[in-house]
Formats: sequence, structure tokens, C-alpha cells
Amino acid sequence: MIMDVQLGSLLTAVALIVIGIFATAFLDNLIKKIIGLAFIGDGANLFLIAMGYKPGGIVYIYLPGMAADWFAQNAAYPLPFALVLTSIVIGASTMAVMLGIIIVLYKKKGSLSAAKVLGE
Amino acid sequence: MNLLIPLMVIVPILCALFLNLLHKKDRAIKAVTIILALALPALPLLANYGFHYFGGYEPLMQNPTLSSNLPSFITGGVLSTFHPAITYSFQSAQQLFVFILGLVGLLALFTSVYETRRPSGVYAYMLFMGIAAMTAILLTDDIFNLYVFFEIAALATVGIVLVSNIKGNYETALKYMILGSVAAPLLLLGIALLLGVTGNVNITDIIYSLKTGMVDPQNPVLLMACGLIVFGWLYGSGLPPFHTIKSAIYSKALPSGSAMIQAFSVFTFIALGIVILRIFSYLPLSQWVILGVSLLAMILGITMAIVQTDIKRMIGFLAVGELGYIGIGLGLGTAFGITAGLFQAVNEVMITALLFIGFGVVLYQTGVSDTRKLGGLMVRNPGVALLVLLGGFAMAGVPPLNAFQSKLMLIQASLDAGFPELGVIMILLSIVTFMTFMKAFHTVYLRPKPADLEIKTETIPKATVISLVVLLVVCIIFGLFPQYVTSYLQPLATSLAGGVA
Repeated sequence: MIMDVQLGSLLTAVALIVIGIFATAFLDNLIKKIIGLAFIGDGANLFLIAMGYKPGGIVYIYLPGMAADWFAQNAAYPLPFALVLTSIVIGASTMAVMLGIIIVLYKKKGSLSAAKVLGE
Repeated sequence: MNLLIPLMVIVPILCALFLNLLHKKDRAIKAVTIILALALPALPLLANYGFHYFGGYEPLMQNPTLSSNLPSFITGGVLSTFHPAITYSFQSAQQLFVFILGLVGLLALFTSVYETRRPSGVYAYMLFMGIAAMTAILLTDDIFNLYVFFEIAALATVGIVLVSNIKGNYETALKYMILGSVAAPLLLLGIALLLGVTGNVNITDIIYSLKTGMVDPQNPVLLMACGLIVFGWLYGSGLPPFHTIKSAIYSKALPSGSAMIQAFSVFTFIALGIVILRIFSYLPLSQWVILGVSLLAMILGITMAIVQTDIKRMIGFLAVGELGYIGIGLGLGTAFGITAGLFQAVNEVMITALLFIGFGVVLYQTGVSDTRKLGGLMVRNPGVALLVLLGGFAMAGVPPLNAFQSKLMLIQASLDAGFPELGVIMILLSIVTFMTFMKAFHTVYLRPKPADLEIKTETIPKATVISLVVLLVVCIIFGLFPQYVTSYLQPLATSLAGGVA
């Protein structure tokens, strides 16, 4: 059975989110937690991009010689791509701040164990 | 288009960038911060009501010049009603919210530059960016734009905590960011589901699609989207189960920073709460969720405040509890109830800022925030003690202060809506709030000074006293003339209660 591209993307996104939540909740190493958070963010972005999928759709770049109504009927939905670019930038900044904090905490406490570093 | 509307967001961002460049130039930071901060409450007073369209134009049906050149299948259908731009809406309610945010921001910045020996350009940058993000969240009619600024506000909050140099701030900031990095993508997922079902991110267009039957409102995907957006709302506002991390964040920031962070929480609560009411009010479950979560926040917040020994943590939990009052107003769903809830929000921002800055004087003088180690400060600062006492009375709802009016309206609204039990709970929790505050006030100001308590600084900066007086005067004015404030909120409340976008 050949799976629809959009359905496959949505399932992959859900899998990424579930794996990310598992990693964040159950792994003790702070870097692994951050990787889990990156999985959650990437899963959400993949889900968002999959919303714009159109079977047999063309890239949403209007070239000279294209008829406007043919382009409107056949182009994939361009909005999700713009939203995901913004979301990736936000995710990268958040990740950078978290990794910076972890560096400071590692220098202070000498450990990447969440139980030791974040425990009261 | 009204150009002052985007300036309300752009000006704080430019101020932030400029102050960051001035880092380590103390005198320049002090002067420039105060001058630039004056723009924050001034801009919303000068701007006219209206809309601003970023990167586009108004809907085609309002733009005959543009639509006359387009084919009829675009201008004749629903496409002509949709918003092809990021829309910012500035009406009376937004004017009041942005003004109060700007006023608290001005006073927090004013206090911070005089309380620290070396004013920090980076700290001022974080405060200004947070204010810009919150202004955008209050004005935007685009749900993805709201998410972007929601994330910026979270980053600014973390920045405010990191700059404070209080013990344990890095650990608390990391915990907050880890939770945020789970909650925010789930909020984004909710937005993605709304986009997938309705094809829009503009809130007015989403509501139009639901009301006109273009999209089946009973689609279970919309229920899932509602749940995910509510989850993001819980994180951003500091509602249960995120109330403990939020109060920890308040305790690890400087008092001026805590005053701003609680303002961010309240305005995030209102903005996202309004979005949930606007889009999902046709789902009876959404109102029950708002009521349930708010009740839980009230009970948990106020009861957890009783056992706190750190002043800032205590005020933080009280602030979470007061959020519950706002949510009760929104959840009741009537115009009067929503007006009362929004009025309570405006009051709470000012009162909590007053308490954070007021008790912050204790931290400034002694370096201690543990109530078990404090005492006897009434003799040294009777004026500040009086201001803090009146702030506590305001939070508990003592007349003629502002929260008395909003809490009375909330109790009346709950009786009118057929929920007298909510009225009883609100009265009981107000009494507990009063008890908790008086216990803290007694331990800090009234009981004898412990022998080992060292007073590091005798004098209090005049800026702090001025900020407290201004906040208290506004609280008294709002308490004596509530109808003046509620007149700004009624149009929004009526439209929300009527289910009109």
C-alpha cells in the first residue's frame, strides 16, 4: 500500500512529537532533553507544512506565461511555508538560549544530569 | 491606515535595540530609558481607533479601487471578505490595556534605573521587548502573529530572570523554557489544525468560516485545536498546572521585573482567553474549561500563597489566584461578567505591580526576601509600609479601592448567571487573600526586628516611592470612578457575549 504523502507527513509529525515528549519527560541528560524539545518543534513544523500539501500541486511561484486561474487552482498553499520559516527561527533562538543556560549551569555544577542541576 | 497603531509595537522594539547598544554607559541608559519609556503610555492615548494592515491591504470588499481590477470569481465570493494581511485592531479595550501596560512598564523601568547602582542596558532591552511583544499580542487579529509574539514574550521573561543575578535564576529559567518548549509547539499544532480546517490564520476570517457554514463547527479536529490552544493559554498565563513555575519565575526576578512579568501573564491570559471565546464560544465545553481552570487557579493560587515564606513567591501565588477571578468573568459568558473580568485584569496588573515594587523595597534595603528573617521595618519606612498596606487592601477587595469594584461586579455577574456558589467562593478567597497579605505584612513590618537582620541601605530611591504613589492613585481613581473604565471595556464584552466576531 502506498501511503499518501500528506498522511505520511502527518503521522511522522505525530511520531516526532511523541518521541520528543518522551525524551523531555524521561531522559535525565539535559542535552538529550533539548534534542527531545527540538523533535517536538520539528514535529509541529512538519505538521504545519503538511497542511499546505496539494496532490499534484505546483510550487507557488507565478511565472510569466502562466494563466492566473490555472495557477490559483494548481499551486500548493503558500501560507504554511511562510509560517514554518518564522517558527524555525523562533525555535532556533529558543534552543540557543537554552543551550547557553546549560553551558553556564554545567560550568557551575559540573554535570548535565537534570536531577543534579535542576533538583531543589 | 492609522500609523500610530504599528508604532505601539515598533517603538518599544527600537527602544530595546538602542538601549542594548548603550549597555555599560550608566548615565546615558538612565536618561534615555526614562525618556523613551514615556512613549509607552502616551502612544495609545494619541492613536485613533481603527485597523492597521501589515504587508497587505484591507479586505477587497472595503477596497473598491483594487477590486475593480480583479475577476468576478474573486470579488464576488467569500475571498472579498477575507483579510489578506496581518491585521492589528485598536479599539477602546485595546487602548485601555496598552495604556495600563505602558504605565506599569514606565514605572517599572523608572524604578529599575534608580534602584540598581549600575543600570543595565540589557535589562532595559528585555523589559522593552516584553512590552512590545505584549502590545502586539493585545492588538493582533492574526493567530500565528500572536504565537510569534507569545514566544518573544517568553524569551523576554527568561531574559529578565537571567539578568537578575538572584541565586537559582538560571535553573528556574531553564525549567520555564523546557516547559515552554513543550507548550508552545502544542499551541502551534492547534494553530496548524485551525489552518488546515479553515484555511485561515486571521481570527475574524476563521470565525466567519465557522459561522457561515463553510466549515463544519462540530468537526472533531476543531475540538482538538481548542484543547491545544487552551494548553498554550495555560502555560502563557501561569494557570495550573504551570502556576508553580510561574511563581518561581516571579521570585527569581528583580521586583521591577516581577511587576512586568505578572503584567505579561495577565495580558496573555486576556488576549488568548478572548481568542478562545471568540473562536470556540459555540462549544459549551470551552466555557466550562475556562470556568474550571479559573476556579482551580483561584483555589490553588491563594491557598498555596498562605504557606509561602518568600515574599515574592507569596505575591506570585496571590497573582495566580487573582487570575482565576478574571477567568470566572470570562467564563460566565455574559456581557456584564466579561466586563467585570476584564476590569479585574486591569486592576490586578496595577495592584500586583504595586505589591512587587513595594515589597521590593524590603529586598533593596535588606537583601532578604524570607519573611522568617524580616521584621521591624515599619519604624524605618512608615510611608512605604502604608503604600504597601493599601496595595494589599486593594488586592483583597477593600472599598473604595479598584479591586473592590471589579470583585463586586464579578460576584453580581455570577449571581445573575445562576452561579451563586462562585460568588461565595470568590468572597471566601478574598478573605483568605486578606489574611495571607496581613500575615506577610505583620512579619515584615510590624513584629520586632530580628537581631541578625542587617539594614544595608537606609534611604529608598524617590523613584520607587513615586512609582508606588502613582499606582495607588490610579487604583483609587479606578475605585471611585469604575464606570469610566468599564465604558472602555463594554463594547468588547458585548461583542464577545453576543458571539459577534
